[in-house]
Amino acid sequence: MGFFTDLWESATPWSSAEAEAVSGSGTDSTPAQGGEAGEGEAADKNASDNKDDDAEEPEEEEEEELEDPQEKFQEECKESKQCSGPKHHFDECVERVTGASESDDKKGPSEDCVEEFFHLAHCANECAAPKLWAALK
Amino acid sequence: MLARSSCLRAAGAIRNGAVTVSKRAASTSTTEAAASPFRLNLAGGAATAVAIGSAAWYYHLYGPTAHAMTPAEEGLHPTKYPWVHGEYLKTFDHQALRRGFQVYREVCSSCHSLSRIPYRSLVGVTHTVDEAKAMAEENEYDSEPNDQGDIEKRPGKLSDYLPSPYTNDEAARAANNGALPPDLSLIVKARHGGCDYIFSLLTGYPEEPPAGAVVQEGLNFNPYFPGTGIAMARVLYNELVEYEDGTPATTSQMAKDVTEFLNWAAEPEMDQRKKMGMKVIIIGSALFALSVWVKRYKWSPIKTRKIAYNPPQMGGKH
Repeated sequence: MGFFTDLWESATPWSSAEAEAVSGSGTDSTPAQGGEAGEGEAADKNASDNKDDDAEEPEEEEEEELEDPQEKFQEECKESKQCSGPKHHFDECVERVTGASESDDKKGPSEDCVEEFFHLAHCANECAAPKLWAALK
Repeated sequence: MLARSSCLRAAGAIRNGAVTVSKRAASTSTTEAAASPFRLNLAGGAATAVAIGSAAWYYHLYGPTAHAMTPAEEGLHPTKYPWVHGEYLKTFDHQALRRGFQVYREVCSSCHSLSRIPYRSLVGVTHTVDEAKAMAEENEYDSEPNDQGDIEKRPGKLSDYLPSPYTNDEAARAANNGALPPDLSLIVKARHGGCDYIFSLLTGYPEEPPAGAVVQEGLNFNPYFPGTGIAMARVLYNELVEYEDGTPATTSQMAKDVTEFLNWAAEPEMDQRKKMGMKVIIIGSALFALSVWVKRYKWSPIKTRKIAYNPPQMGGKH
């Protein structure tokens, strides 16, 4: 009987796959995780979790500092031709506002560069979004 | 032939124009009014002017919408990111969910509760039964009253909900300078922009606020938060957590994972829902195709019938 059901399941593409296969490696790590974190309080849960991960994968260690791809792409995008307009306005605004605050001339209306910052950030993010998603897992 | 005759008729009409007008005017009113078409033109012109003028006045009153909010008060609208799980036929990336839960547990959970998620719902989604049980047992929950009526503590079970960092909202406010860290169970559904907003908010803290921007005491500048002043400081920094699958824990990677996890927390039924939607479309289209064929079959005698009329022979012998 089992033979026929196996045959049937292997022949049908909609037969269900059980996720238990991956649990082998998962259960191995469980006692360590449970035991170690159980000793500590809830407050230093973070530290203990980091510890037991260290033991599992020593080969993943990287010496150099990680660079966030988002920052890289956004910087590139801000300098790109696409965002030259907002960048120009933002830089000009920063120059104007910092100049006005340094000259101590309180007569003019107080100004901020939030709007210019928004336009620049919007442009940079629009440009960086697809690149970032391609880079992230 | 036809064109020529109509031309002739038109020419005749022009020639007889004056006669016709006078005739018609004479038939309706006095000859004096008929003599001044100026007044008719004036009336028409005035009516048109009133019509256009009233429309213009209405647009002047109600047409343009007033925007009372400045862009800073609105907040920067988040960029649309191409979330894979947002596509019609894609599920959550469950490895990302597992990483996202790790980020929540190690980072977010110190301030934010996730009170609608029990440990049992993690089983088969991010963790195995044994892992989820072990995590639940790390916490203490109130047990049933014992014989003396005292409530003792017991280790957690799968059916227990994730513990909240604060006992109530007032305690949360007191610990956070008056600001309440919202519960994250439904936060993706509860915020305009959903995943894009959460991701943008988490990664959007600039190194310093733009020139001239006023940031209140105890607040931080975040362009995506309406008003730009948010009580939560930037929390995600590179290598804050160490992923067990070796994924480089950059700020944006952690933000992406935790956002996807929070989307799962808000919509745990999404994978099943999409599967059900596919079933509905398949069965519905099959039934529709069937109904088309049945209709053709049922109508075939009517569509293929032929009505013949044979007139009687005229002029023949009767």
